[in-house]
Amino acid sequence: MVRALADRAFLPTKSVLEQVGDMMILTGKTIWSALRPPYPYGGEFVNQFLFALRLCWLPLLISTVAISYGAPGLQAGNFLVLFGALDRLGGFFVLTSIREFGPSVTAIILAGVAGTAITADLGARKIREELDALQVLGVDPVKNLVVPRFLALMIVTALFDIYAIIFGIVGGMLATVSFGAPLGPFFSTLLTNASVTDLWGSVAKTTIYGAIIAIVACYKGMTASGGAEGVGRSVNQGVVITFLGIFAFNYVFTQTLLATHPEISIIK
Amino acid sequence: MTWLTVPRDWIASFGEIAKFCGRVIALVWSGRVFVFFGEALRQAGILILGSTLVIWGLAFILGLQCGIEGAYFSRSVGAPANAGVFSAWCDLREIIPYAFGYMMAAKVGTGLVAEIGAMRISDEIDALEVMGISSMTFLCATRLLAAWMVLPFVYIAAIGAGFLASYIAVVQQIGEVSSGGFFLIFWMFQNPPDLLYSLIKGMAMATLIVLVGAYYGYTASGGPVGVGTATAKSMVLNVVGVHVVGMLGTQVFWGANPRAPIGG
Repeated sequence: MVRALADRAFLPTKSVLEQVGDMMILTGKTIWSALRPPYPYGGEFVNQFLFALRLCWLPLLISTVAISYGAPGLQAGNFLVLFGALDRLGGFFVLTSIREFGPSVTAIILAGVAGTAITADLGARKIREELDALQVLGVDPVKNLVVPRFLALMIVTALFDIYAIIFGIVGGMLATVSFGAPLGPFFSTLLTNASVTDLWGSVAKTTIYGAIIAIVACYKGMTASGGAEGVGRSVNQGVVITFLGIFAFNYVFTQTLLATHPEISIIK
Repeated sequence: MTWLTVPRDWIASFGEIAKFCGRVIALVWSGRVFVFFGEALRQAGILILGSTLVIWGLAFILGLQCGIEGAYFSRSVGAPANAGVFSAWCDLREIIPYAFGYMMAAKVGTGLVAEIGAMRISDEIDALEVMGISSMTFLCATRLLAAWMVLPFVYIAAIGAGFLASYIAVVQQIGEVSSGGFFLIFWMFQNPPDLLYSLIKGMAMATLIVLVGAYYGYTASGGPVGVGTATAKSMVLNVVGVHVVGMLGTQVFWGANPRAPIGG
């Protein structure tokens, strides 16, 4: 009885800790084999890069325009209209689009679209024992499959962040226009409040998001087991872990950035 | 795989998905699902035990996020005592619905595809039909009913988790406003209709996610690989759907009326 209860509490915790440890080891191995010659992953890198680009451009476009038109655009716009200061919406978009929603929505879409596709792909190969076959042939799966995905997702996520910021600002423009206000003041407060620190913070953050997405997706794909339901299950677990990991990291990063760079939160 | 694969996929399957959703909703609405009420209760139990904690966890993390952004923003406009406005609006109206939608899509949506898809692949759905059990009622409608029974409560508790996190971030962590001062502003800037609107938004997302998940699982094909691909595809449609529903909800409920206790 006591033993069963203890097992019930202990075993899930143990498996979570083991998985986190395994992912850390995979990260270390990936970085090590990315840096160490030879470099056979060029072609696969280009393929994965284009794959993520082709899959994500439309979902990301729709999502960023929708979220920034609704959340910061309409809500904050409504609030500012009460004070007759709608021109300040541009300054607010530095906070929302560049610092928060741009990176977060990019991460959500990349994790939900590209990350799940990678897990499904690698999981299918694992189930069909292709990964074992590769190893038998002397091809290192980490170097040839994980490294290109890791590098491609880091770069593509950082680049998509810029894309998300641009379309986030388009959402803000739509909101401004829907209040019947001119766009000039919006851009003027946007550009006076935007700072280089905000932009590099945003891009640095999304680069690390990309790394998290790639590692979790590859790990879950390569450890899929259990037939038909197994691949689906690993996609499911992978995307849940990615979301929690991304937002936990986001909190720490944003807090550190805001506390160590007080100049970015001064309104100009 | 070309640049237009995703939109072409959506357009091609839009009619199918709409038809499927209509049929499942009709099964629940007409009460035929109550033949399998036990199964619906079992699904509700699975939902409570399996998914609530991660949903609250994500709501909590995003509530912390709202809290610190609000605290720094209101400090920068020289009114740190007003961090409550930002927290109240950010949590209740926008971020908690999104957090709920994201985690529903990730945990419940893909879980449904994996589960029902595996049944389709191993011919269990055909076996159900052969035994004279309507598989759509037994598998899809019961899950929708379970979601409708359980999720409003899960959602309201998620709002609570977000509020708690914002309180911790603003009052305990940043500490520029007293607890009483925070709550005065915080409660002044929201009222029960806001909670109801937020709940409607969250439930619309949840309904969409359950239906899309059930559709992709029910129509999965192509072996174990097919289940994985269907799971990934359902996620694409779900994350976009969550954002679109969120935007429409904001536009409908708060677009023309800020519902703020300021001015006339």
